[in-house]
Amino acid sequence: MTHRLVFVFAAALMFTGFAAADKKDSVATSKVPRVADGHPDLNGIWAYAIDLPPVTLKKEINGAVSTTDIDQRAAKPAQGPVAGARPSTPAPSYKPEFREKVKNLFDNESKTDEVFYCGKPGVPRIGPPRRIIQLPGEMVFLYEDVSGDPYRIIPTDGRTHRKGANPSYYGDSVAHWEEDTLVVDVTNFVENGWFGEGGYFHTDAMHVVERLWRNGENLVWQATVDDPKVLAAPWTIPPRLITPSNDPLEESPPCVEDDGHRLLNSDHHQQR
Amino acid sequence: MRHKSSVILVVFIAFLAAGPARAHHSPSAVFDMEKKFTMTGTLTKVDWFNPHIVVYLDAKKNDGSVENWKFESNPPSWFRRVALAREDFAKAIGQTVTVEGVPAKSGVLYGYLLKITFPDGNSLELVFKGPTN
Repeated sequence: MTHRLVFVFAAALMFTGFAAADKKDSVATSKVPRVADGHPDLNGIWAYAIDLPPVTLKKEINGAVSTTDIDQRAAKPAQGPVAGARPSTPAPSYKPEFREKVKNLFDNESKTDEVFYCGKPGVPRIGPPRRIIQLPGEMVFLYEDVSGDPYRIIPTDGRTHRKGANPSYYGDSVAHWEEDTLVVDVTNFVENGWFGEGGYFHTDAMHVVERLWRNGENLVWQATVDDPKVLAAPWTIPPRLITPSNDPLEESPPCVEDDGHRLLNSDHHQQR
Repeated sequence: MRHKSSVILVVFIAFLAAGPARAHHSPSAVFDMEKKFTMTGTLTKVDWFNPHIVVYLDAKKNDGSVENWKFESNPPSWFRRVALAREDFAKAIGQTVTVEGVPAKSGVLYGYLLKITFPDGNSLELVFKGPTN
């Protein structure tokens, strides 16, 4: 049997361009698949993005050499505007008194970022789900992550946030539909994590709104982060366009970070 | 995934270091990227872990003593997306392999895996292209 390498390209693309915010917050398409209740169908497996820098694969088989460029990043340069996306900026704007802290955290990220040490990325840093199961009254978001494989069960039946729930990395979520966009409102976070890789710390006042909608066969995910204690203004993250996938979810192996004690400088990657 | 027994060289050219699904240290923070070396020994273990897979190598020195080396590489999810699984490494446990890598700056018996050649002649290689941060 001929040996063949099959590459599953990460297909989450980040677009830094944007379309003007549509009052109805919906994608201008007439071919959105729908479920029985008439809402867009967000069910499915969505492509995995590993957030490693681009790689070129060079293959030699029986003396024949071929190269393939592989880019599995979740974040890629803008290819064009995404219909329905809200205006976004590449980075948040912190209040002046916190900017030095953000810079120091980022400069020393390999020592200060929990995610480097198998910590949970939380919402919104984990990005879009790998699989969505859409049920009457709730959505189930499943993820694959180095830190483990979290899930979120998000009510869509009109209930409000839970009272007295413990804070968490993934927060407390409730969702509703605005036209063809699923709007997920997330509160009640622990303060430990970062909402983005650039040293973006937050407080317990962080509030995240995720928006998901169909763009043809693809899924779009975009989040807005607000933390009035530290941010000068809410930050809307550039949208991500995710293609459907046949790559089933697989239990992530255990996370065992063993390099921390060998670090001799603060060199690190910003991958997303 | 099984390789056929013909010689297959698979070379991964990575612009930057391997890392987990999110931010991670650059290899230059741990390894001396200029000191490539080659080692032959017995593959004893393969840890299919995040954020790095780790292969263990017992290398016999000229004086007969054995050094126990560990080499890390990309995360399992990266290998999965290029259709490689733990078995592609673990099939050689107990056998002699040749590894090319760069050593940890701290001097411990730890390296970054650049290339591994299996007894059947198949090999996997990561070639860094450009600065490593």
